[in-house]
Amino acid sequence: MNGENQSLMALSPSPHVKHKNTTQSIMRDVLIAMSGAFVWSVVVFGYMAAVLTVLSVLLCVFYEFAYQKLMRKPVTVSDLSAAVTGVLIAFNVPVNIAPWVLVFGCFFAIVVVKQLFGGIGKNVVNPAIAARIFMFVCWPSEMSSFFKADAITSSTPLASIKNSVIPDYTVGDAFFGFIPGCLGEVSALLLICGGVYLLIRRVITPQIPLAFIGTVAVFYLALSPVGTPVQSLGYGVFTGGLMLGAIFMATDYTTSPVTPVGRIIFGVGCGLITVAIRFLGAYPEGVSFAIMIMNLLVHYIDKATMPKVFGMRKQKNG
Amino acid sequence: MAYTFRGGVRMNEYKITASSPIEVLPAPDKVVIPLSQHIGAPCKALVSVGDKVDKGQLIGAVEKGLGCPVHASVSGTVEKIESVYTPQGRKVEQIVIDSDGENRISPDIKPYRGDIYKVSPEDCIEAVRVAGISGMGGATFPTYAKIASAIGKVKHIIINSAECEPFITANHRLMLESPDEIIAGLRILMHVFGLEKGLIAVEDNKPDAIVKLREAVGDGKDIEVKEMKTKYPQGDERQIIYALTGVELKAGKLPADVGCVIFNSETCYNVYRALALGMPLIERIVTVTGDCVRNPKNILAPIGTPVSELIEFCGGLKEKPAKLISGGPMMGVAQWDINIPVTKGTNAVLALSEKFTAEPELPFSCIHCGKCIRVCPMHLMPLFLARNSKKGDYDECEKLNVLSCVECGSCAYICPGKVPIVQFIRVAKSVVNEKRRAKLLARQADAQKPAAPGKTDTADRPAAEKTDNLKTASVKEQDAGKAATSAKEDNPNAAETAKTASGQSAECLKTATAQTAISQKSETVNTDKKENSK
Repeated sequence: MNGENQSLMALSPSPHVKHKNTTQSIMRDVLIAMSGAFVWSVVVFGYMAAVLTVLSVLLCVFYEFAYQKLMRKPVTVSDLSAAVTGVLIAFNVPVNIAPWVLVFGCFFAIVVVKQLFGGIGKNVVNPAIAARIFMFVCWPSEMSSFFKADAITSSTPLASIKNSVIPDYTVGDAFFGFIPGCLGEVSALLLICGGVYLLIRRVITPQIPLAFIGTVAVFYLALSPVGTPVQSLGYGVFTGGLMLGAIFMATDYTTSPVTPVGRIIFGVGCGLITVAIRFLGAYPEGVSFAIMIMNLLVHYIDKATMPKVFGMRKQKNG
Repeated sequence: MAYTFRGGVRMNEYKITASSPIEVLPAPDKVVIPLSQHIGAPCKALVSVGDKVDKGQLIGAVEKGLGCPVHASVSGTVEKIESVYTPQGRKVEQIVIDSDGENRISPDIKPYRGDIYKVSPEDCIEAVRVAGISGMGGATFPTYAKIASAIGKVKHIIINSAECEPFITANHRLMLESPDEIIAGLRILMHVFGLEKGLIAVEDNKPDAIVKLREAVGDGKDIEVKEMKTKYPQGDERQIIYALTGVELKAGKLPADVGCVIFNSETCYNVYRALALGMPLIERIVTVTGDCVRNPKNILAPIGTPVSELIEFCGGLKEKPAKLISGGPMMGVAQWDINIPVTKGTNAVLALSEKFTAEPELPFSCIHCGKCIRVCPMHLMPLFLARNSKKGDYDECEKLNVLSCVECGSCAYICPGKVPIVQFIRVAKSVVNEKRRAKLLARQADAQKPAAPGKTDTADRPAAEKTDNLKTASVKEQDAGKAATSAKEDNPNAAETAKTASGQSAECLKTATAQTAISQKSETVNTDKKENSK
């Protein structure tokens, strides 16, 4: 019992046991949650959807690996966060995009937005959102020519609404995913299923998606830009990047607030900016800009919504 | 509805010994009794090498100030008195007694003469003090002092039997096997405090214990057994007070400040024994468990039994443990020596394999998920405390109320990025405490004497002392929290030096503090690097 046994015992401060959750397991859950939308993208847009998604993931993982090797940092690609970013970037491009655009987009996301700011947990803006905006600004035509599977160019429902035209597609089409759009954003139903999975697995909390989507919904109901208020609500909520953004991108841990109240403020803020851009701005869609703007405010939201420390609040008989 | 608090974590309980009755350990050949097993001043040995001692005989007493006497837990001969480290990582003297196997009870042990249920407060305090009872939940605060300071102030008396840490079942078994003694102890304490009503808090994962206790209370309306929600850290006294009375106890305040007094159930049981039998605290229940122990058990062991004997009694080890922990997995202290003795605060000994203690492959990193905020029972923001502590911005930590942290470890437990949050917080706490103390000293020095040229020798002393502390700390391979403890202990010296010296020397003390901070920080960084390289 003496001697060699003793020298091998680890000394470390408490706590000595940890929850089984790791960054990796959380990212794996996010990937699982996105798998439905991925499969649907292949069904609707054909094999190119799969090619683009795999390419985007490989690029992101490669950039992270290469950067960390080059900078002699520990390689952390196994935490799967780069893979999640890769899938999200692919989800945010149309199927007929030239693949070389992704080469730049993924570089911007992983190297510029994530690693140059210190890597996982330290980036200020969501890398996938930043990449989407970067590609959108640099290659606007590549990023906004939407084909459907039958290879006919068509305008997205949001673009139609922008021109005050009733879209060619029904709200049902939008909900189930028979509309043109980016790879991952077309099927609201599957994205919601993914969100429910993340909620059950306790990866995300409901505050951000509910506040975000709720705020947008209220405005569509009240202002009713096309058809009946309920029709407007359906188009406004189920088309464009709202579901994808609210469920998978606005809830990114690093770039969203940590307190429950802060998350509600963040979600409402995202909703307001989205509505403002969609109704007043030059673009038909504003989700990514909204999320990025709110990303920049996270630090202040966290500070403003600090919980009251136990024992510090006013008490009845303390 | 079970009573509870906001925050906390639900975790795997691993209470594998819940249905193993308490087994009495045969008197070991040798016991090792540390002279300091509690908060307060260490005892002075009253026996010398070669003396014959009886079981229960007083062998160490506190000369002045707060403290608990210690007693021989077996009869035999004093073999040696040596200086070693305790499970809590402090250096103390300890008395080694060679057992003669006779278990001769000391003639000094006499029950209280009168009716124990009508004992006067003074007699009760004296009996508890003489019996050397200290808090048996792990904090080891001298019980007599707790009673004395709370008399006349309290409206609620609560027995804490929540036992919220995984693995530990010592209180659970005690409630099942000796409910009457616990109830009797509580009735004695209620009488002493002049209270009509007493509460016992038990987590609802122990329904059998709740039933037993309610049976033992009988038809009496004076004691209520309260079911607490099974959630860590439900057994923290702040959370118990909050759950049962709705009052939030601020950090740094005592339960008596809000009219409550809380005792662990085993402490309460021993209060009864001290009065009814006159028996001092010489044995306690230890849960010996973990996945490396062949037959995990609850053992009634004499204080001072080497842990190696307990493990032997459990059939030995199945495999080499990766970690040996004295106490629970959330707040216990990792040990480097399997021969350390059981002390009054040792409620469990865990031998855990790699399965529990494996370090993550990736370097830790906070991903800002906010889970730590959700679980913090003190409603702090642990991620920002850790982040600022890592940066060295301890002032910001202070603003974020770092001193309110109770180090329960919920945040580090839940953290998916595996950030050693509690370690960072401990560093920040020790620095903030040092700073506050230095400020106070500077103010005192300013007030006492007008500015005069400082002497280099007096000025150097505190700094040298600090360095020594740090060296000891790193030798001990303990965490920064322990360094803080030793620094705290050393403080009276530093305070005296500063008082007698001029304002300038107080200034130097500040520098010393800063040095402490820096070297502690570099220690942390080293640990980080080690973890990274793994």
